[in-house]
Amino acid sequence: MDKISTYFGRFKELLEEFYVSPYRGAVARARRDEDDLFMLFVFGELMGVPNPATYYTLELQPLLLERFHDWHRRQGLEHSPLDGFRCC
Amino acid sequence: MQASSQVDYPPIIWRLSLLDEILARPLVFVGGKGGVGKTTTASALALIAADRGSRCLLVSTDPAHSLADLFGQPIGNKETAITSGLWALEIDPDRQADTHLAAVKARMQRLVHPRSYSEIDRQLSFARHAPGTMEAAMLERVAEVMAMAPSTYDQIIFDTAPTGHTIRLLSLPEIMAAWTDGLLSHRKKSERLSSTLRHLGGGKVRGDDLSLIDAATDHKDGSRDAEINALLQARRRKLVQAREQLLDRTITSFMLVLNPDRLSLLETMKAHNTLTEFSIPLAGLVVNRVLPENADGSFIKDRRQQEAHYLEDIDRVFGHLPKVRVSLQRGDVHDINALRRIGQIITRREEFP
Repeated sequence: MDKISTYFGRFKELLEEFYVSPYRGAVARARRDEDDLFMLFVFGELMGVPNPATYYTLELQPLLLERFHDWHRRQGLEHSPLDGFRCC
Repeated sequence: MQASSQVDYPPIIWRLSLLDEILARPLVFVGGKGGVGKTTTASALALIAADRGSRCLLVSTDPAHSLADLFGQPIGNKETAITSGLWALEIDPDRQADTHLAAVKARMQRLVHPRSYSEIDRQLSFARHAPGTMEAAMLERVAEVMAMAPSTYDQIIFDTAPTGHTIRLLSLPEIMAAWTDGLLSHRKKSERLSSTLRHLGGGKVRGDDLSLIDAATDHKDGSRDAEINALLQARRRKLVQAREQLLDRTITSFMLVLNPDRLSLLETMKAHNTLTEFSIPLAGLVVNRVLPENADGSFIKDRRQQEAHYLEDIDRVFGHLPKVRVSLQRGDVHDINALRRIGQIITRREEFP
């Protein structure tokens, strides 16, 4: 009996996963795009995108440093686009 | 206030005077073209305020400071006592920017390998010399100083840089607040998507989806995002507060100093238009270096004729504003007593629109 309920539980989980995962992927991607855009605002100045508030966004850069490498790779740049930041 | 006044002025001048209009506000900005006498006017006003019993801070935002020269004592980037009730401060945007960048650098160094320290230095030196850095640093400091009224000082009088710089400085809070608003709206969108993601079971699943989100790799509890938002919010709060103070007629008065000549008049008209554009009300004008009536000679006579023409123009163009005329002085104004004399002229030569 116990075994059967475990199987059912597992089956339900898989079914849920089957329906939900495509959406989850889409939403996760949307959020990543949003965060990428934010990264562009904060680091954009160094890529030639003018930012009127460099002085103020500079304080955000340390917080975003860990995401920096994945971000520039995703933007299609094999190496860090910033002279100042050699993360790879 | 008049009862506590230490200097005995004729009573008539207190009626609706430009000075009352200006000195009734905790924040006063004195602007104008270079060389028209902004520093002298601002200092004379500050002395009047101090003599009337206010605790007054005189602040120079002009990168080429001259307060120290005027008062004949070192002042610099700290509040320095000048005389009873009067303090002065010469803002140094360089030092402000350096402090800010040093803080950013310290935070970055905690996060990267020591071998990258020199890279950080290079990266920050870009920012240090980027256009706008000085302005932003100046604005940051001015906003901090503005927040000291009326608690620490009853009145803060700003001797500003020539018009263009100052108007840019005054318009910055709006532009910067709009920018941080934009950033915050992106943060909000990102947060909404995260919460949707949690409903879709993002938290418990070991699938590959989560690797799509950088936030998951840096801090599992989202504390990093919270920190970013907190920084942005704090920035925005400061900018909005500065903006609100600037626009509040009961808190800030803005006055322009000009000379009765063509270039000065034209620049003042432009400044007035720009101030109107940014909804910053102009409290009044000080027309400085008007030729005194007792000056003689044919040369002076010709100058006076020309001047009369400009004085007429000033009255016509700025008819709706309170104005005060200050005559050209026989000698340089370079000490407290000379400034007090100018202050007396400002209060005596009151003209009504």
